[in-house]
Amino acid sequence: MNGESDFSLIALEAAVFLLGIAVLALDMVFRGSRPAIVRRTAITGMALLVVVSFLSGKSGAGWYGMILVDSASIFFRRIFLVAALFVFIMMSRSRDLGGRDPAEYYGLALFATVGMMFTASAANFMTLFMALELLTISFYVLVAYNRDELLGLEAGVKYLIIGTVSTAFILLGLAFVYGATGSLDFGVVASRLGEAGKTDPLLLVGAVLMLVGLGFKISAVPFHTWAPDVYQGATTPVVAFLSVGSKAAGLVLLMRLAFSVFLAIRPEWVLILSVVTVATMFYGNLGALSQTNIKRLLGYSGIAQAGYLLMGLVAATVESGSAMLYYLAGYLATNLLAFMVIVVFSRTVKGHSISSYAGLARRSPILAASLLVAMLSLAGVPPLAGFFGKFLLIDAVIKAGYTWLAVVAALNVVTALYYYLQVVKTVYVLPPAAETPIEVDTSTKAVLYACMLAILVIGVFQEPLYDAVRTAAVTLF
Amino acid sequence: MNFPVLPVIKLLPAAGALVILFYPAAWKNTIRLTAVLSVGISLFLSVLLLFYYDNHAAGFQFITRIPWIETLGISYHVGVDGIGIVMLLLTAAVIFAGVFVSWSIEDLVKEHYILLLLLVTGVFGVFMTLDLLFFYLFYELSVAPMYLLIAIWGSSSKEYTKEYAAMKLTLYLTMGALIALVGLLILYATAGSVTGVYTSDILELGAAGFDPRTQIFVFPFIFLGFAVIVPMWPFHTWSPIGHAAAPAAVSMLHAGVLMKLGAFAIIRLGLGLLPVGAVKWLPFVAFICIFNIIYGGYVAMSQKDIKFIVGYSSSSHMGYVLLGLAGMSVVAMNGAVFMMFAHGIMTALLFGLIGFFYNQTHTRVVDDLGGLSKKLPFVGVAFIIGALASSGLPGTANFIAELLVILGAWKNYPIPAIAATLGIVITATYMLRAVAGIFFGPMDPKWEGLKDAVSIRERLPFVFLILILIIFGFGPGMLVDLIESAVTPLMAQLESARTVAATYSLF
Repeated sequence: MNGESDFSLIALEAAVFLLGIAVLALDMVFRGSRPAIVRRTAITGMALLVVVSFLSGKSGAGWYGMILVDSASIFFRRIFLVAALFVFIMMSRSRDLGGRDPAEYYGLALFATVGMMFTASAANFMTLFMALELLTISFYVLVAYNRDELLGLEAGVKYLIIGTVSTAFILLGLAFVYGATGSLDFGVVASRLGEAGKTDPLLLVGAVLMLVGLGFKISAVPFHTWAPDVYQGATTPVVAFLSVGSKAAGLVLLMRLAFSVFLAIRPEWVLILSVVTVATMFYGNLGALSQTNIKRLLGYSGIAQAGYLLMGLVAATVESGSAMLYYLAGYLATNLLAFMVIVVFSRTVKGHSISSYAGLARRSPILAASLLVAMLSLAGVPPLAGFFGKFLLIDAVIKAGYTWLAVVAALNVVTALYYYLQVVKTVYVLPPAAETPIEVDTSTKAVLYACMLAILVIGVFQEPLYDAVRTAAVTLF
Repeated sequence: MNFPVLPVIKLLPAAGALVILFYPAAWKNTIRLTAVLSVGISLFLSVLLLFYYDNHAAGFQFITRIPWIETLGISYHVGVDGIGIVMLLLTAAVIFAGVFVSWSIEDLVKEHYILLLLLVTGVFGVFMTLDLLFFYLFYELSVAPMYLLIAIWGSSSKEYTKEYAAMKLTLYLTMGALIALVGLLILYATAGSVTGVYTSDILELGAAGFDPRTQIFVFPFIFLGFAVIVPMWPFHTWSPIGHAAAPAAVSMLHAGVLMKLGAFAIIRLGLGLLPVGAVKWLPFVAFICIFNIIYGGYVAMSQKDIKFIVGYSSSSHMGYVLLGLAGMSVVAMNGAVFMMFAHGIMTALLFGLIGFFYNQTHTRVVDDLGGLSKKLPFVGVAFIIGALASSGLPGTANFIAELLVILGAWKNYPIPAIAATLGIVITATYMLRAVAGIFFGPMDPKWEGLKDAVSIRERLPFVFLILILIIFGFGPGMLVDLIESAVTPLMAQLESARTVAATYSLF
């Protein structure tokens, strides 16, 4: 059955790709004179695809062992599509490009989405690499889109250089793995590893190179340095997409590699991974303490959050896998909310310094409340989404016997609370930077409310989502 | 009662907050009345519990249980024993007074009441929850709003800004909570790995019991984690500055109720789940609490700001609670819980009154005040009653509480008991000095314009709290019986743990 070219397995990816082509084609037809039509096509199309992705859920393997669609792939596809939809809404509201709203902006994001979706259903290192490159190359352009600004250029160059280096790591690792096992198929590699009596050092080097290289996507140490600069310099919607979509893509690959492909040699790499985990948590949280730019702050916060997620990778149990997926779903809603606020706020106030948010509660209660919910959820305050995600992660880590890691995470959560509360303080306590109220239109308000509601529901009524992510996590092993 | 009374008590304030969310910000009085209504009904229902609880059957009653996440063995499980009811009553009384006291807040009224009501939901939740996840959830829910409540509506003092105080409080309490969380999760994981079925139900975990080594290992996590909020010396430093910076109603809740969460959690989780661990570790606590009582008292004596005086006196008084917990006798434990109640009401009264005159004087430094009873006779009298209760005057609930603690602790811990007796003298010294300094002596002419509490709305919260202090001072029987019905089985469990504990060393 692996030989079948079952088109239905990749129909959703194909639809996203076609939407991307359609967006570019429409723009060509109108010669760039009707950005509103392009924009609406992208948003409506993506909204439809989100609905379709929640209605359909066919799993199976095919395309000569290149593609495997299981519950985990389906879960991640939904994450990517929801993220893309919200990012498109942000793109349509953002003024980062000075009122320009080019079709390629949407087109590239759509192609990046295709790449993300394929990472979720990759069953072969070849698919993995192609999907990853489609995603990364689209982002090289997207990140550098703010090319009229120095910071935007810096972001683009940094992302390109570090991204290329990490790609080299992945390729090299891939070569080692191929050399040691003679196969690029996830299943075959995993079973070879299971058979081998002793570990091949080449294989171990390959595995570690790949895991570390993939760490670039989720901004884990040592490939984390791009995050603050890119978050600051790139346009806000792109950053939002990076912070949830691209991160989730890296995560699904890391989970597949750690939980199934390289599971047999886990004792060999788990120490390195725990060092990376601890370093990532501390780097992110300590770095964030002194930030004065909200996007940089979220960059560091993104590093720290990646650190929490990596704990689940270290524990490597069904519980920890479920916890990671749960955390990710909450993180999606939370981060999209935070960036949505930034998009709306920066329409009125230029620059992204935290101090410009002073007294926001008196200028726009809805934006202030949204930012409050987002920050508290990121900090892990109940009853919000971030709390239950952290609860599950710490629980899974303890169940797996890593009590010390749970204590490290607890220390980090307290540290993080400080900088998240600094933002809250600026918004609610400090006197307003200006008296003018900030208007938020009804449709944007609806988006903000939707995110807040999602954060609350994920934080309080956990069972439906938890059962879903658990089913997905089981298939990862 | 078939009616799910506990969830209703808890969710009414949250429902009030939800309703307020949809009001326009300008409807200030409607917002305030909604808050009064929601906590008023909660108070009424809490009082009903007092009469409907069956003392003879004892144990946990009014139970509601809804499976929440079955895969993880987590359920929404609420129920109260005698201790829980007393704490619910305390919370309901303090917040009822608190919403009246915060009437004077004019800035961001809507946000203020939403946060206040959410916080109360969290506190109610902790006192009734029988599931680890929800316990932690409600605990954090009662801590987190504190930051904004203090940072937005608080007042900075000469030494500390309100933002600093709020941040210090939040970080300390969250750190404690997380340490406790790690301990709780170790228990959850251990129990599950032994039986193969994970459950976070506190009663089931308690019935299954833990092996003594685990108990001795985990007890410090849970004890220290929650001792931060008690607050136990040397982790108390967040507390007085937090009190001082908070607005009146928040100080009332903070000192009156929030600090009791710690002792309650130690009883429910530390003593209830880990009796062997408790028997092994609590003797140290009996001596640490001397620092609370004596050192806290001396620090209070040297303070100039009345809120700092009452703040340090709170950590001094919570030393009695710790001593009662460590005392290892039914009488001492009764005293500890009764102290939590009495101190909660008394300190809420004092902070409410301080808030009342601070709103007009804008200073709380004792030396700047003086002779205020000429202009504020009602407030003066109420404050004197509070101060006397604080000093353990017979006829107030606090006297009964201190008496029980000292009598109960005497047998096992004579030295701490003597220190506790000295503590009463120290309290009387600084409290009476403060009363004299603020309300008597020559009055600065600039206080000529002060207005006393005259309307029913202004007087109601204070009269209400004073009545509670006096009613339970003269007739403590009802509460003590309730408390004892819960303490007796707990103490029996500790007694039998004593023999087990004797065969294990600490490390």
